Amino acid sequence: MIVEGDFTFQGPRETVWGLLQDPEVLAKALPGTKELTQVAPDQYEGVMQVALGPITAAKFTVKVELKDKVVPERYDMMIDGRGPVGYTRGVAKVTLAEHGDGATVMTYRADLQIGGKVAAVGQRLLDSVSKMMTKKGLDALNDELKKRLGP
Amino acid sequence: MTAGRYFGQSIRRNEDARLLTGRALFVDDVHLDGMLHVAFLRSDFAHGTLRGVDCAAARARDGVVAVYSAEDLGDYWQPGPLLVPPPPIKGHVFHVATQVPLARHKVRHVGEPIAMIVAESRYVAEDALADIEVDLEPLEAVVDVERALAVDSPRIHEHLESNLAAHVVQQKGDYARARDDAAVVVARRFRYDRGASAPMENRGIVAHWDARAEELTLWDTTQAPIPIRNGLARLLGLMESQVRVVAPFIGGGFGPKIMMFYPEEVLLPWASMQLSVPLKWIEDRQESFYGTTQERGQVHDAEIAVTKDGTILGVRDVFLHDSGAYDPYGLTVPINSQCTLLGPYRVPNYYSEFTAVFTNKTIVTPVRGAGRQHGVFVMERLLDLAARKLGIDRVQIRKRNYLSPDEFPHDHAILFQDSAPLLYDSGDYLPSMEKAEELIGYRAFIEEEQPRLRAEGRHVGLGIVSYVEGTGIGPYEGARVTVEPSGRVRVATGVGTQGQGHFTAFAQIVAEVLDVDVTNVQVITGDTREFGWGTGTFASRGAVVAGSACYEAALRVRDKITKLAGEALEVAPDDIELSNGRAQVKGVPSRALELGELAVRANPLRGAVRPGTEPGLESTAYFGPARGSTANGVHAMIVEVDPETAMVEIKRYVVVHDCGHVINPLLVEAQVQGGVAHGIGNAFYEQLVYNEDGQLLNASFMDYLVPTSTDVPSVEMGHVVTPSPLNPLGVKGVGEAGAIPTGALFAQAVEDALRDLNVEVCEIPLSPNRLFDLMREAGASARG
Amino acid sequence: MGPSIPVKVSVNGVPYERRVEPRLLLSDFLRHELGLTGTHVGCEHGVCGACTVLVDGEAVRSCLMLAVQVRDRDVMTVEGLAASGQDTLHPLQAAFRDAHGLQCGFCTPGILMTLIPFLEENPRPSEEEIRYAISGNLCRCTGYQNIVEATRLAADRAAQREGSTA
Repeated sequence: MIVEGDFTFQGPRETVWGLLQDPEVLAKALPGTKELTQVAPDQYEGVMQVALGPITAAKFTVKVELKDKVVPERYDMMIDGRGPVGYTRGVAKVTLAEHGDGATVMTYRADLQIGGKVAAVGQRLLDSVSKMMTKKGLDALNDELKKRLGP
Repeated sequence: MTAGRYFGQSIRRNEDARLLTGRALFVDDVHLDGMLHVAFLRSDFAHGTLRGVDCAAARARDGVVAVYSAEDLGDYWQPGPLLVPPPPIKGHVFHVATQVPLARHKVRHVGEPIAMIVAESRYVAEDALADIEVDLEPLEAVVDVERALAVDSPRIHEHLESNLAAHVVQQKGDYARARDDAAVVVARRFRYDRGASAPMENRGIVAHWDARAEELTLWDTTQAPIPIRNGLARLLGLMESQVRVVAPFIGGGFGPKIMMFYPEEVLLPWASMQLSVPLKWIEDRQESFYGTTQERGQVHDAEIAVTKDGTILGVRDVFLHDSGAYDPYGLTVPINSQCTLLGPYRVPNYYSEFTAVFTNKTIVTPVRGAGRQHGVFVMERLLDLAARKLGIDRVQIRKRNYLSPDEFPHDHAILFQDSAPLLYDSGDYLPSMEKAEELIGYRAFIEEEQPRLRAEGRHVGLGIVSYVEGTGIGPYEGARVTVEPSGRVRVATGVGTQGQGHFTAFAQIVAEVLDVDVTNVQVITGDTREFGWGTGTFASRGAVVAGSACYEAALRVRDKITKLAGEALEVAPDDIELSNGRAQVKGVPSRALELGELAVRANPLRGAVRPGTEPGLESTAYFGPARGSTANGVHAMIVEVDPETAMVEIKRYVVVHDCGHVINPLLVEAQVQGGVAHGIGNAFYEQLVYNEDGQLLNASFMDYLVPTSTDVPSVEMGHVVTPSPLNPLGVKGVGEAGAIPTGALFAQAVEDALRDLNVEVCEIPLSPNRLFDLMREAGASARG
Repeated sequence: MGPSIPVKVSVNGVPYERRVEPRLLLSDFLRHELGLTGTHVGCEHGVCGACTVLVDGEAVRSCLMLAVQVRDRDVMTVEGLAASGQDTLHPLQAAFRDAHGLQCGFCTPGILMTLIPFLEENPRPSEEEIRYAISGNLCRCTGYQNIVEATRLAADRAAQREGSTA
């Protein structure tokens, strides 16, 4: 499954970059995250809970690793989430570009494998659920950014 | 055997009262005191290295009694048996890799069992699945059959050099020369994809080890209880007589419930012995989509060489067969494809080569039709294409190439799935085609109705195709017929029953021979304690092989009756006739004895049974045909395609079939109707969709579309009878027939309906989406 | 395991009282708690219709209901159709036997229970109406043809009985 798009933050690139490296913020940006802790530099582990149609609030153990970082331009996020109803694995490529007016455009493209029950019975809903989750995540990041930049 | 009072009559079924009132016993209805419940942890990954399975948390859960991973099975862990060894075809290559009870070191398809949980209830067992921690390193999945053979493809079985499971060439004549002599050669690539057997009842097992009696009883949704008993006895170190396998009422089989030695089938008996408690596992529908075998993935590169008048000079077919992750069923499916392709036609030169390939998908074993669909699809499509190229009518090209009645028995000079030569016992194909033409109104449709409707802008089309089906193969079945003192007759046979009506069809055969009321004949099937010799229900063989054994056993009982009655009534046995449950002196109905009375006399309490005689009015007989009998038929349909939505409406469906003598027309027609519905599903609704990671994307009835009552037409039926000389009843199998030619038929009819768009259908299943794409592509290439 | 909840229910006219887990499906309750195994489970996600029973006269899928939802209600299963006794059949059951409307018989109880309220509502249905009525019940054996025939036979016979008693 490919999840891709872009989003414009009203804030400088360095601040956005900083947000994306903060596990607490990252936890908010990955909807359904119950906990997320840094276990090593650029490595995070946690638990996510996602509902998908007939599959109710299933828990996933998630490992996230940031790779190929070019501060503050881009990084790859390796994702490996597994749970009783299936798994998701893949890589999300994130780039940040400066835009005029002090805004930052984030472009993302995640290529994810989805397997198990989630794929088998949730297939029709994956697209809409992933879009919804992406939007939630971006909104959360944007809120956090606004908070940091202050009024 | 020809039609009589019962044989050949449309008699309502003996088994129906039990089924209609909810009294019939299915496996999930078995309840035993102290019974525990089993759930399986299955792989979410199609391919991966299994590094560890931690069951500690699951074991600690309240209500969990035991948890097993492969490590816990000890010596019991071993790959399953090779069920059908390949026929001795010269030069063939076959690599065995059979399924394992629980994955060890590796998982090879989504749904492969990794661990087994025994708990107080199924609910608790399923809860505990989430407690198991699996350490698994995903590997790239092998999904596409062509890619699977690439040098750089990941390997599924480490003990093999590649993903090649088998390679077989069968040929006769010299195709290359035929090709040189041909006026026209047509070549295409054809694809057939996977579907599910989807019986309404999922699989299920109840295993009960009775430690005091030292007996294992297994209730199993199997089509072949006797092979399962024999195999389990071997695996568990028991005598066969210590194992009883019962296949009670089975809610549909369609192939995959055959003697698979599925992981669950092997593990529950073992665990019941370990724990000394009865265990139950009932497959849920989702498990069934992963864990029950499937069929039909093949890619054919085929060509036909014909003369100017459409006479077939030869056929060449090279195909890839998707075996799935393991190949316990040997080469049955691809060999059926290879053999059935020849159909009712005279094909002097034939070159057929296939390569079976391992993929990270559920195992492939026969599903209703068992590879025959592919052969029929390729041949019928090639004939359609050749006819179009030559400007010959599609019915004409078929008739031109039919084997004629004086060519039987006809030796195709290649080997069939049962290792016997592919030799057609009997057949007469022209009458079937003519009858189908008449029933569907072929001439009137193509000459009047279709042009008229086309002029109105409607897309109507007709399909008409032929097929043959090798049925009723050996090795043998047996039956025991007993007249009880009550006068009622008991028939026991080893084959299981999954709705075919065996309780009635076998009763009719015996009732006819003994002239007793058919409702007084009680048939027992599928219980190894009742009858312990035989193989099972598959390859459209139940009526042919077990039916013939019932007949032979009934004849022997009749001999015993006439002998005993002759003695009692002081006439020669030849002067005794059976009538309405009585044995009487011919022409003197007043001098008669009830069969029940004779049964009592045959089992005396005093005196002595004379040497060389047996007590009771009972006999057991076996029947083993030298080879299969060849059934055939023609299907025809009229469809209308909505060019906007690509929906296909089936307006009419005609089946003319020849399965030799018919035991019960009601049952035969219903078998065909059900087969047609299955075939229509395969053709237009049902497809198991795997993605490139080997994930099945539609593993529920919400997304996998089994045809409903509004999708399936009523079938109009015609019968032709060419009795088989290979069995005393003159019957041929029919269980799979309805489903076999449907894909080829659907393709032809849809093409015909869309002739103005030049759509060519070289694949099955279609779907509205896929057909829409084909229409668009055809439109684009016409414009381009 | 969760707390258990008392359930009082009438099934086929027989009162039952049981304590059940809140998550227990009605289908499992009927089959495994009450031993009424005539109701079959084919998919557990409400598509196949094999588990159809009547709750207060309406056809419902017992795999989509919880046992606790039938508290104080009337449930009817296939076992309740015919008067007791081995050879008695409800007229609909008899029509299914006479028209060979079943093969393996696994989907049959659900189809019968779907048709009971349908025929009450619509005693003289057309073929199209019958096909529509059972379009939510999957059958793999019959191709539906004889199910339609059996339903029509039952309706015709009922009409004849009406006619002869009128």
